[in-house]
Amino acid sequence: MKNIKTKIIPRNGNSIKEKLYLPAIFGGMKVTFSHFMKNLKDTDNLRVVWYPEEKPKDITSRYRGVHRLTHRDDGSIRCVACFMCATACPSECIFIKAVERTDGVDEKMPKRFDIDLLECVFCGECVEACPCDAIRMDTGIFSFIGKKREDFILTKDKLLKNERSKDFDD
Amino acid sequence: MSGILISVVIINILIVVILSLGGVPVLVWLERRVAGFIQDRSGPNRCNIAGFRLGGLIQSFADMLKLVFKEDLLPSHVKNKFYFSLAPTIVLFSSILTFSIIPFADNLIINGKSYSLQVLPMSLGIIWFLAISGLSVYGIILAGWSSDNKYSLLGGLRASASTISYEPIMALSVIVMLIIYGTIDLNDIVIKQSALLFGFIPAWGIILQPIAAITFIVAAFAETNRTPFDLAEGESEIVGGFHTEYGAMKFGLFFVGEYVAMSASSAVIVALFFGGYNLPWLSTDAIKSNISIISYVIIFLLPLFSYFFIKWMYKNNKWKKENDARNKESKILAKGIIGFNVVLIALLLYFNLLLKTPNVISVLTALLQFGSFVIKLFMMNLVYIWVRWTLPRFRYDQLQTLCWKYLLPLSIANVFVTAVAVVWISA
Repeated sequence: MKNIKTKIIPRNGNSIKEKLYLPAIFGGMKVTFSHFMKNLKDTDNLRVVWYPEEKPKDITSRYRGVHRLTHRDDGSIRCVACFMCATACPSECIFIKAVERTDGVDEKMPKRFDIDLLECVFCGECVEACPCDAIRMDTGIFSFIGKKREDFILTKDKLLKNERSKDFDD
Repeated sequence: MSGILISVVIINILIVVILSLGGVPVLVWLERRVAGFIQDRSGPNRCNIAGFRLGGLIQSFADMLKLVFKEDLLPSHVKNKFYFSLAPTIVLFSSILTFSIIPFADNLIINGKSYSLQVLPMSLGIIWFLAISGLSVYGIILAGWSSDNKYSLLGGLRASASTISYEPIMALSVIVMLIIYGTIDLNDIVIKQSALLFGFIPAWGIILQPIAAITFIVAAFAETNRTPFDLAEGESEIVGGFHTEYGAMKFGLFFVGEYVAMSASSAVIVALFFGGYNLPWLSTDAIKSNISIISYVIIFLLPLFSYFFIKWMYKNNKWKKENDARNKESKILAKGIIGFNVVLIALLLYFNLLLKTPNVISVLTALLQFGSFVIKLFMMNLVYIWVRWTLPRFRYDQLQTLCWKYLLPLSIANVFVTAVAVVWISA
């Protein structure tokens, strides 16, 4: 055991300069003062996005925004009303009412598909659960505004109208 | 009671109210903007009245207005409603009383009579400061106790413990200054600091006694419960501390009282250690005999500073969106500054050429000294804010260790050494 090489790490804080405490305080104050003066001279140095006037540019294609329902190649709804998303949803904000599909494309489709955004926690479980890639959260909408509670319930028509954000590269 | 005396007294009271209560929105604004700039963010800059933002100052007025008009709730579990309501007033009251012994300028001499520019022209001076600033702890401890809330009680306990522990340090630092100056009257102390050391250094307290200055400033930070000693409101441990149960203007009074106390202790620090109202290198007599040179220097420097300020304002006070009312602010403010310059220069020229009576000279001297005092006061407040956004909070045992193990022996030794030195020199 004697041959094990050990490295002794010096303990800081015992020199007189460090025990005086004031030099370190002045050092810290110098750092903050340099930041203050830099920003006072030119407010363009501030590392902020002036939000409502300037939109954020760092929203990637993996960002979970407001949901949308996707279309098939012929333009009809892709959803088959299998209730997988509603089952996976932890906040139980998806309400589906299924009907029989008569146009021969598939057997089932939703008559109603409502998402209550006031309940939704934007976890993305519904997107993960969907077997048909029928629901996605790639609209890039990060701010959703309404004046009534009813405004926040997205119906099937509204969900179908949402599109993939144009800022995302495919 | 002559008319001049009454008007001087009224002006004094107005100055105290404006500097203490009126200074609070400015200090809050300064705190938030400086904090923002130190952390590379902006701070309040949106709130405006018809496009006027004044760099975000309007936000503090909006906040104050909100606090005033909020419903004054009294928690139902509070048993001692009288003490609960009394506590914030004690804090505010003692802070304003502390402020009122500060001399804003040297004694005004009009028609051969001397008028003191202190609200309380009492010879107690610095002793009054020690007595009254210690009183504010009663407000805090009463708030903590009467809230019937364990966090409030802990906060009140911590605040009173730190304030009371640092009181001896403060008193001992003051004693050192009293030994040097030989008086407890604040105006006399400030006058003594207008002398020159070795003929070229202003004999300010910080140059005569740097150790006392450091201990006093540290104790003043602890006394006003500001960072790094703001254990009274450690959010992570005891919620809001002693003001957890307070809302609306009751909380507002604590808030205002805290800032007034900070301003008052800054004023005392300035008066004791930074030459008070003195302009550097210029005593009152020197200002009076060189008044025309000084006013010509002001006439030269004022437009220069205004030019650079307007340039800075045009560069930085812009709004990202076009056609916004906030974009017009800089132009109007620039016109206002130019107008102010013209009026002030015209007044100074009129005085210099036509109206050089002793009364006007002494009023102008008082104004100059008041300006210098206000600048120093805000500089010291800026140091308070700057330290707050630099240093983290002390742990409770570190706070007490620093006080009793390091600062107390240091200040006692300082008293002895200074006393021996003063006796040595005078003998």
